Amino acid sequence: MLFCRGFSRISTTPRKSLLGFILSRPTEPSQSLLSNQYLYSTIKQVCGGRKAFSWSLPSLLGIGRQIHHSSSVIEEQFDPFSLVAEELSLVANRLRAMVVAEVPKLASAAEYFFKVGVEGKRFRPTVLLLMATALNVHLPEPAAASVGDTLTTDLRTRLQSIAEITEMIHVASLLHDDVLDDADKRRGIGSLNAVMGNKLAVLAGDFLLSRACVSLAALKNTEVVSLLATVVEHLVTGETMQMTTSSEQRCSMEYYMQKTYYKTASLISNSCKAIALLAGQTAEVAMLAFEYGKNLGLAFQLIDDVLDFTGTSASLGKGSLSDIRHGIVTAPILFAMEEFPQLHSVVYQGFDNPENIDIVLEYLGKSHGIQMTRELAMKHANLAAAAIDSLPESNDENVIKSRRALVDLTQRVITRNK
Amino acid sequence: MARAALLCLLRHRTAAATSTSPLSTYRCLKTSNSKTPAAGVGRASFCRPFSSKAAVNDVIGMDFANTDSGVAVMEGKERLDPFSLVADELSVIASRLRSMVVVEVPNLASAAEYFFKIGVEGKRFRPTVLLLMATALNVHVPELPPAGVGDTLPTDLRTCQQRIAEITEMIHVASLLHDDVLDDADKRRGVGSLNAVTGNKLAVLAGDFLLSRACLALASLKNTEVVTLIATVVENLVTGETMQLTTASKQRFSMEYYMQKTYNKTASLLSNSCKSIAILAGHTAEVAMLAFEYGKNLGLAFQLIDDVLDFTGTSASLGKGSLSDIRHGIITAPILFAMEEFPQLRAVVDQGFDNPANVDIALEYLGKSSGIQRTKELAMKHANLAAAAIDSLPESDDEDVIRSRQALVDLTQRVITRNK
Repeated sequence: MLFCRGFSRISTTPRKSLLGFILSRPTEPSQSLLSNQYLYSTIKQVCGGRKAFSWSLPSLLGIGRQIHHSSSVIEEQFDPFSLVAEELSLVANRLRAMVVAEVPKLASAAEYFFKVGVEGKRFRPTVLLLMATALNVHLPEPAAASVGDTLTTDLRTRLQSIAEITEMIHVASLLHDDVLDDADKRRGIGSLNAVMGNKLAVLAGDFLLSRACVSLAALKNTEVVSLLATVVEHLVTGETMQMTTSSEQRCSMEYYMQKTYYKTASLISNSCKAIALLAGQTAEVAMLAFEYGKNLGLAFQLIDDVLDFTGTSASLGKGSLSDIRHGIVTAPILFAMEEFPQLHSVVYQGFDNPENIDIVLEYLGKSHGIQMTRELAMKHANLAAAAIDSLPESNDENVIKSRRALVDLTQRVITRNK
Repeated sequence: MARAALLCLLRHRTAAATSTSPLSTYRCLKTSNSKTPAAGVGRASFCRPFSSKAAVNDVIGMDFANTDSGVAVMEGKERLDPFSLVADELSVIASRLRSMVVVEVPNLASAAEYFFKIGVEGKRFRPTVLLLMATALNVHVPELPPAGVGDTLPTDLRTCQQRIAEITEMIHVASLLHDDVLDDADKRRGVGSLNAVTGNKLAVLAGDFLLSRACLALASLKNTEVVTLIATVVENLVTGETMQLTTASKQRFSMEYYMQKTYNKTASLLSNSCKSIAILAGHTAEVAMLAFEYGKNLGLAFQLIDDVLDFTGTSASLGKGSLSDIRHGIITAPILFAMEEFPQLRAVVDQGFDNPANVDIALEYLGKSSGIQRTKELAMKHANLAAAAIDSLPESDDEDVIRSRQALVDLTQRVITRNK
């Protein structure tokens, strides 16, 4: 749930302002500088400019390299989403066709998250399609029609299939996660809608999972089947971890990071790896793809945690605070608890009492919790970028562009404001 | 002693093999044992208690001509118990299953293993069928590559086939967990349903978890055809459940629709897993199809008798059964047949069965009609098709093979002659 909402935040501010760059297609280095300055100032603003961030250099290196490129025809920041926009429409249409069901209520439940306008920013498919290109499996040229291109087309279709399967699994998990237990308490008193809602959610989720299974089988690659089956297991495990934490576990950073990996990062990491495997890449390259996805996912979630407190400004308390109100203890609080052990007892008590929320926010403000979380997010974002940089060299323009877009995404993930 | 009896039976059978119909060797014996009422719950499934005592159900087979009446002399000696043939192997599988659903998150672990614990794992009908099928197909297949080290290959094959049985059970239990959430069921297999005990959400998550573990095990077989078959099963299960949801449409009056739904919900798992067993053993497409046909017809026969028992319970008279299908508005074969004879029944069915008076009316019509009988006949037809599929398998002199095939045929009879 959080993830789907969160990813819709990604392509807001940065995208709009950078669109101008794409349209004007400047050729002078000065424009590149502007974009770099924009990014740098954004980072400074986000971090409150409180101290010199030496760790920000690696993140800027990717952009800094642009300035030093000799041929700087298309060096400006481009929109990663636009690179794959057309293909995304294709994938979206196929998805809608795949979840058509004959029972009307089931159909509307299953396609709920795939309808135009509510399918989110399709962050995951974007990453996967970019990864596909970055690994040198580009879209075939329409002009040449040879056997080689047919194979390429087939391979590209198979990779798109991974994107579809991933979305179906993701939405299925959303539907199942939203199944509440309230139906028990309201037995005999609750409205039929409430009960039917649960049932449809379960059935629709099963429906999507079964479609994903069939599509997976059609790829005829048992290793890929394993990877994505593992994803489902992780999603379930992560959700269960979140549902059933003991007091001790809630205060553990390690437990939290494990849960975050399961709930958020596993899907991206394993599907990136699946892309690499289907594309016939080596185990090393597949692992790099995995590392990219994993670190991207972790970085995303950590910023998500921050934004839940800070909302659209750097100050505390403007965010929705939905995590803490649901009793979910996230990274900023965990960091604050390390600084202020007295916070432990407040967290133990839980947050049914709104006063506890205020106390926690107060401690949080005094602590470096927010800042340390951002730093951790940046660390993961850099790891993700480093993974891309470690991919085997290529002179192909499309490959270079896609890789840059993937690196760009790592920055967007941590610099977004909502 | 048992061996001598078995050989007697086999000799008898072999002699009759030259006759026109493979079924003419069977005689009929109808039993009138009364048993405790079936504790039916919402979804009719293989979870109903399944008698494993060889001595109780004395019927060897059914004479096609005498469906309802008559008692003929039992020719063979005591029947072998299909379940006992594979009892040891079943224990191995059960242990492996319990270890396969182990996970570190305690709540998820207890939810996932809920129905694999000793005492609540059901009669394990499906694994029994699959293990018997594995032995029944244990003929030398020329295309199989020669074993590198002694008997390693056959052992590995057996393990792979056992894995199919495990996968099948996980998928089956996963579907039960979700179905109980969908049906708001309180009980399952004599204990509280998981959703009643731990809540809907954990039941849903546990079902997903079992499904993912099943997929992992499936992938480890490294056979993409088998992966496709089992993935189809998953889709069929969901489709079947969805079809059952279409209570408002005219389709639920259609026998064809009903049979399709029954295939999806019940028979597909058996048919496709039987086929997978054959494929793993490297058999031809024809043999694989025979295995498929066996599973399919066995499943259909089972469900049809299940439908009957929901009305008749433990006696031949109407209304002693749990009537849970009709109370949930699920129209099954007996009613469908009755509606063909008495079109006025349609109006009653249209009204639905929230009003218990309608249930009584429907039962009355059913009693007047030959709905029950025709359903039993249809079940018999499918049981015979299943037996015929086994009889069409490539010949073998291997004692184990013969015994397993006998057991599989025996199962087709047990399925239709059971009283609960």
